[in-house]
Amino acid sequence: MLKTLFGAAAALSLIAASGAGHAADFPTKDLQGIIMWGAGGATDVVARAVTPLVEDALGKSIVLTNKTGGTGAIATTYVRSRPSDGYTLLYGAENPQMYKVLGLADIDYDNFYAVNLLARGVAVVVVRSDSPYKTLKDLVAAVQKNPGQVKMGTTGVGGLPHTVGSMLKTVIKFDVTAVPFDGEGPGITALLGNHIEFIPVGISAAAEHVKSGRVRALTVVNPEPVASMPGVPAIVTEYPDFAKYLPWGPFYGVFVNRDAPDAAKRALDAAFAKAAKDPKFVEMMESRGNVMMNIAGAEADKFLTKWRSVSCWILQDAGVTKESPEKFGIPRP
Amino acid sequence: MNESLSYFMMAWWDPYLVFLTAAGTFAGIYVGVIPGLSVTMAVSILISFTFSWDVNEALAVMAGVYVGGVYGGSRTAIMINIPGAPAAIAAGFDGYPLAKLGLAGMAIGVSTTVSFFGAIFGIIILACAAPLVSEMALLFAPRDYLLLSLLGILLIGALSGESLAKGVFAGVLGVLIGTVGLDPISAQPRLTFGSMSLMGGIHYVTAMIGFFGVSEALVQTLDLKKKIIKQKVDRILPSWEVILKHLPLSLRCSAIGAVIGALPGTGGDIAALLAYGHAARSVKNPSRPFGQGAVEGIIAPESACNAAVGGAYIPMLTLGIPGDAVTAVLIGAMYIHGLKPGPMLMIETPHLFWFTVGNLVMASIFMLIFGLTGIRAFAKMVEMPPALLMPIIVILSVVGTYSIQNSVTDVYWMLAFGVFGYFLKTYGFQIGPIILGVILGPIMDINFRRAIISAHDSLGEFGLELLVNPISLILTLSTMMLLLSQTPAWKRRMARRRTTPPPGGSG
Repeated sequence: MLKTLFGAAAALSLIAASGAGHAADFPTKDLQGIIMWGAGGATDVVARAVTPLVEDALGKSIVLTNKTGGTGAIATTYVRSRPSDGYTLLYGAENPQMYKVLGLADIDYDNFYAVNLLARGVAVVVVRSDSPYKTLKDLVAAVQKNPGQVKMGTTGVGGLPHTVGSMLKTVIKFDVTAVPFDGEGPGITALLGNHIEFIPVGISAAAEHVKSGRVRALTVVNPEPVASMPGVPAIVTEYPDFAKYLPWGPFYGVFVNRDAPDAAKRALDAAFAKAAKDPKFVEMMESRGNVMMNIAGAEADKFLTKWRSVSCWILQDAGVTKESPEKFGIPRP
Repeated sequence: MNESLSYFMMAWWDPYLVFLTAAGTFAGIYVGVIPGLSVTMAVSILISFTFSWDVNEALAVMAGVYVGGVYGGSRTAIMINIPGAPAAIAAGFDGYPLAKLGLAGMAIGVSTTVSFFGAIFGIIILACAAPLVSEMALLFAPRDYLLLSLLGILLIGALSGESLAKGVFAGVLGVLIGTVGLDPISAQPRLTFGSMSLMGGIHYVTAMIGFFGVSEALVQTLDLKKKIIKQKVDRILPSWEVILKHLPLSLRCSAIGAVIGALPGTGGDIAALLAYGHAARSVKNPSRPFGQGAVEGIIAPESACNAAVGGAYIPMLTLGIPGDAVTAVLIGAMYIHGLKPGPMLMIETPHLFWFTVGNLVMASIFMLIFGLTGIRAFAKMVEMPPALLMPIIVILSVVGTYSIQNSVTDVYWMLAFGVFGYFLKTYGFQIGPIILGVILGPIMDINFRRAIISAHDSLGEFGLELLVNPISLILTLSTMMLLLSQTPAWKRRMARRRTTPPPGGSG
């Protein structure tokens, strides 16, 4: 008796669901979400904030797992090796776009479909507030006067500070001592402790320190000034040559294998697009200095392709690549 | 002041918050007990879980898990020589020998009492000196981290057991295991043999679980008919006499713990190891020799790693900088709940600081209650027949290892370390130095290179920096003293001085 009741209820809900639209073919079971960075990192926080909203929209759970290592290459190759049914999501940052030239993996986001590029971060160059450098020009003048003496914090090769430093190097003469730290947070910590003189970081890492007055922002690495950094000039006003690289910055996205079925892509697109508009999520992202993007498909591909060109060629010009971007047909920006 | 007090009591008046803190602490103790289930992991799972909760509720349950988890790890370390978390490694050095003497109940009783003492000490430092300590923590340069880890690695001497050479071998092996993976500065693969799975390196918890858990299980299954040691559980609480006698040591080690906890990039594990080293050198007449069941060898690491909790909150609440891995996740949780961790946090949301302090005090009290009430049942665990207990340990080890990074490769490594560790133990090598190397090796590696780069690649400038900065100078001198005091010449002199009374001393 009970069984038939349940059966009837299930059938009813199926009919109701299919009535709601074609996307109801997906998902029929719980999904798996692989986060390429560790617990507490920016990618992890974004993933864990957006997922409950997506679960509401999809009506199924997404089981989140952190799979770290090889700057995300392990998670990326893992998701690629899973069946292309749309049930395994990759919560990723910008790193895969540099795997080929760094020799970390032979795949990048070309092999994936961007369900949603949620947001991008903007880089900002910061010094201590008692530093003599008031503008980027001051800093550049000091660096050029004493080549190799001024200490810049980085987070290792290919990280945001290193890439912004390399951009400066290609646009102007800019020879500094780069001291690597474990991340942007530890980099800012070293700046506060006066162990380095400046560091380019994402706004999210710097915003609260700038607000407290302990740290001064010299410039935002963006085509125009950013609302979360009022009064800080965009880098293009002092160095217009930067325009060809921008917009550039870390980004957070959700991906499935490119050959996943269209129904799955559409259902996921809709669910993530809805979640990315949630006021609480938007507020959280913007308070961390991110620019919301909420783009998918072809629009996301365009952004990803340009991003890859900029980063790969900067790494190539800095002499830290294993393979030339040319080998993979990545054009110069 | 009144305002602070009312914020402090916020969690205490609300029965639901009290319940959440209690539940968090209880869960934390058991997360801590199981090797591989880490507090970091538990707290990050809680982020999604508590997404729709009120922020105070979420923070209360996370603080509970943190406090409980740091404490819980030492139980298994003491009873079966398998630390539940890296911070508990040092507690097993003397705790396990005590369990072998049938004194596990006493050992856990001491551990619980000093854990509570250390936790409260750390919270008092947080409440009274947070801005001061966080400014001091900022002054620690890469070279100072290098010196700190050097101080830690010298502990190999105390952990080597029968032969210093074997201890050094084990330590270097640990350092070598720690170098596997992408080089942290140039991203060059090291000892990866072209394998993608090795690029992420070997997680130190993988090594810990293998070398302690599986190898210990193998050792114990060797003799299944061995007479089980009856545990005395009639007297769990240490007497006031014992507590008072060791008060100075607990105080010193809690201070070490609070400072190490407050330093960004070092947490309870290193605090516990440094405190153990401090005790091994400063306590002249331990109750039993160190490594054979000295109560001092439990008091030191346990007060330090629990004091590190309060310490880790210091830079997190004052500057938005995590003091360790757990507070890094907590910062993420705060962002999700609309708070803005950073130097403005205490200005924009002033209640948060005292709320957290009150919460941590409450979690520590629950830790004491749950800790003491659970001892009898836990001590009985040691009396389980090994034929039953050991398979459980191996299963937990596999599950725990897999859950660190959800990687099967880690499980293979863990099992290999287990078998290798068994042979090492059979031939008189100690496991302690290996883990010391795995934990401290990478810190020494990166900070030495950071320090040299900061000194513009000049050894001369590096040497000078060691001497002109106050913190570096103190650490350099302590390291030198420590090395010097181990030389035969120095030991002879000290021995002479002890046998001959000082001139004019006896009148």
